[in-house]
Amino acid sequence: MLQILIQGLLLSGLYALIAVGFTMIFSIGRVLNLSYGSSLMVGGYTYFYFSQTLGIPKLAGLAVAAVAGCLMGLLVFRLIVKTLEGSHVAIEISTLILAVVVQAAIVLLFGDSSKILLPIIPGVVWVSGAAVTYNILAAMLAGWAVLAGLHFYVRATHTGRAMSAVSMDLKGAAISGIEPDRINMITWGLSGALGAVAGVFFASYTQLSPSMWVAPLIISVAVVIVGGIGSIVGTLIVAHIIGFMEVIVTAWIAPELRGVFTMLLIICVLILRPQGLFGRAEL
Amino acid sequence: MSACLELTDLVKKFGGLVATSGVSFKVEQGESIGLIGPNGAGKTTIFSQIMGELRQTSGKILLYGRDIRRLSTPARIKRGIGRTYQVPRPFREMNVLENIRVGLMPDNIWKMVFEGPDRDREEELALSVGLSPGDLLRTPAELSMGDLRKLEMARTMATEPSIMLLDEVFAGLTKGEISQIGDLIGELRDDGMTFLIVSHDLPALEPLVDRCIALDQGRKIAEGPFDEVMRDEAVRASYLGG
Amino acid sequence: MAVRGRHLALWGLFMAGGLLLPLLVDTGIIGRGTLRTIIMANFLAIFAMSWDVLSGRTGYISFGHPFLIGIGAYTTAILTRRFDVAVEYSIPIAVLVTMIGGAVLFIPALRIRGSYFALVTLAFMELVYQLVQVIRPDLTGGTRGMSGIVTLTKGAVQGYYLSFTLMALLGFFLWLLMKTRLGTALSAIGMNEDSVAGSGLNTTRLKLVAFMLGAFAAGLGGAFYVHYLGSIAPRALFDINFVFTIIVAALIGGAATITGPIFGAFFLTFLLEYLRPVLPGAERYLIYGGIALLVYMYQPGGLHKILEVGLERLRKRANP
Repeated sequence: MLQILIQGLLLSGLYALIAVGFTMIFSIGRVLNLSYGSSLMVGGYTYFYFSQTLGIPKLAGLAVAAVAGCLMGLLVFRLIVKTLEGSHVAIEISTLILAVVVQAAIVLLFGDSSKILLPIIPGVVWVSGAAVTYNILAAMLAGWAVLAGLHFYVRATHTGRAMSAVSMDLKGAAISGIEPDRINMITWGLSGALGAVAGVFFASYTQLSPSMWVAPLIISVAVVIVGGIGSIVGTLIVAHIIGFMEVIVTAWIAPELRGVFTMLLIICVLILRPQGLFGRAEL
Repeated sequence: MSACLELTDLVKKFGGLVATSGVSFKVEQGESIGLIGPNGAGKTTIFSQIMGELRQTSGKILLYGRDIRRLSTPARIKRGIGRTYQVPRPFREMNVLENIRVGLMPDNIWKMVFEGPDRDREEELALSVGLSPGDLLRTPAELSMGDLRKLEMARTMATEPSIMLLDEVFAGLTKGEISQIGDLIGELRDDGMTFLIVSHDLPALEPLVDRCIALDQGRKIAEGPFDEVMRDEAVRASYLGG
Repeated sequence: MAVRGRHLALWGLFMAGGLLLPLLVDTGIIGRGTLRTIIMANFLAIFAMSWDVLSGRTGYISFGHPFLIGIGAYTTAILTRRFDVAVEYSIPIAVLVTMIGGAVLFIPALRIRGSYFALVTLAFMELVYQLVQVIRPDLTGGTRGMSGIVTLTKGAVQGYYLSFTLMALLGFFLWLLMKTRLGTALSAIGMNEDSVAGSGLNTTRLKLVAFMLGAFAAGLGGAFYVHYLGSIAPRALFDINFVFTIIVAALIGGAATITGPIFGAFFLTFLLEYLRPVLPGAERYLIYGGIALLVYMYQPGGLHKILEVGLERLRKRANP
């Protein structure tokens, strides 16, 4: 029981960290950035290269990864989203194509085989017979910290409030003198950076591989669909629903079925309550 | 004359906002009625409920004495109502004839597949609303606002309605276009078409309607001949007071 | 939009050319390898056309097309391999079952559109992928898939004839169908669904027709594909890269045209094939994806549209 509680909390924290960047983009532009998983992968590989190959300090490696993710987010916004302004379907298809291009680029640079990322913070603590690595603990704490920080940012700063204004009503926001373009740039950059950081933790939890972008993308999609648009608290809650569901299914039913229930949850929520459990009633 | 459209105590609430608040009126066959009122008075919302695009919270809608509340939009259109929109909604990548073609289509997959389009009827409809022969192969992006409204009229007429609901038909039009559309409505009235017209352009509306219904904040505040409604205290107050 | 003699003549030419092509193998002009490449292009064309009918016109983008293809492939594979059903029966059954799968995919389309619909199809694909591995692995072969499935053809030439005939007939049938008013109505749904309902047409029924046609093509393609390969592997089938290939083939050729996806499928398959000697590894996908991205961003109408615009320009220059 305690095992499940601990495992659930840890996994959920990681999921919240993974999903938050994706949620931000979806809230602001109602657009799905299917290359979001690639931000995670770019973050993971950048960290791997700088910290494990070049051997710079881990924290610096994490910072470089965040910068790389941020750059990628900005580029995707400028080159794809801005060019295809308005057409959601076109943006989604283009970002999907981009994801495959990034995957090929990673294979080209780092090879096909998967790589083990050393834990960011080594060490293990034993909690009632269960090993908890400091690494995943750090991922969970980072997830909470990022969400709390974002929550505060959106509530308390001018830019943050502008973001939430844009997410609610683009026209209204434009009338009140907010430049949607600037807000979009900030959001895409921030989302990319958060994705890259999440990617480092995710990769150290599993491993680095050129196809690692799919799983986090699906987790993010699940969180956004089940949670609905625009609620940071909703993201946290849903990350826990999904995290705990997976842990419970793994422990009590069958490990292979963990993904099945997540997919069923997505499909049920989309059909029964398309605006999500915590979303505003609009589509 | 029998009532062809009858609304009784129509109510529509969006959460706490009451968009339509107990509106009732009758439209007789061949009549033309103007719906007037300030922005947000609930005119378009009533159209959407008549068409079944929005479901009313309570109240009745009778079409030729038959309750149509449970019918889908296409089923209502088959029973003889059609509407145009404040913002025209053409099929962007189709030319004028193809746009009208969609309106002319029978709601039957077999007929769609095995019967070709009626090119003559398409052209006839396009020309009858005042589009020029040179416009027939143009796409909506190449048309003026007036021509877009004409196209929308043509597509609606293609479904052969006996009642037409026109939403802000004169918005964004030049003087010449306003009189063209006015003439078109006049001709259709002579052929026995029933109209419900929403417009802010009162001078253009006046010669086209038999009666007016004034709405404010979802409520009917006056009904009667155009001049009478214009003189009504409540109507003046609603327009001036915003 | 009308069907013209010129179009029919082009189809006739295409089919005749396709059927005569294997004769060149004997003369040594093209090798059997090329023929095998064309077989893959034929199947990809079927899948891309299926996607085009379902998504290309209506705008209900499916990111989970392998869901349908997989149902067709697995149904006939299980029936023939585990229950010794004859292929004559198993393939029609597989197509029917795929159409039922199409109806299941249709349920969310009743309530949601746009991005949400695209996502739910992705979820459907992941769901079957995981279910196939877990539920009754004795039937599905679990994670490893199945091999030793009956093949219908022996050698490249036979395989080519079967796949080409299937692709060309299906393509012609769908092309003809989409030239009718049904095609116009389905395109109209993609442009403005509310206006289609406002024209008195039952959009639910129209969308269902599109889904059924798409599922029919996907089921047929999937079933014949598995009987060509003789094996099936879930990881390769329910793969986002496979989704990517199908969508890109349809889009790069030109969505909502049927002939575009065929062209796109051949273009992409040969692009990959010709890049192989120059770039043997995954770099090919970098170029492949890069080209796809550029073409799509430059002209969402694909090569079909680029060609059309180019011809129009030439014509204007010829007689100004």
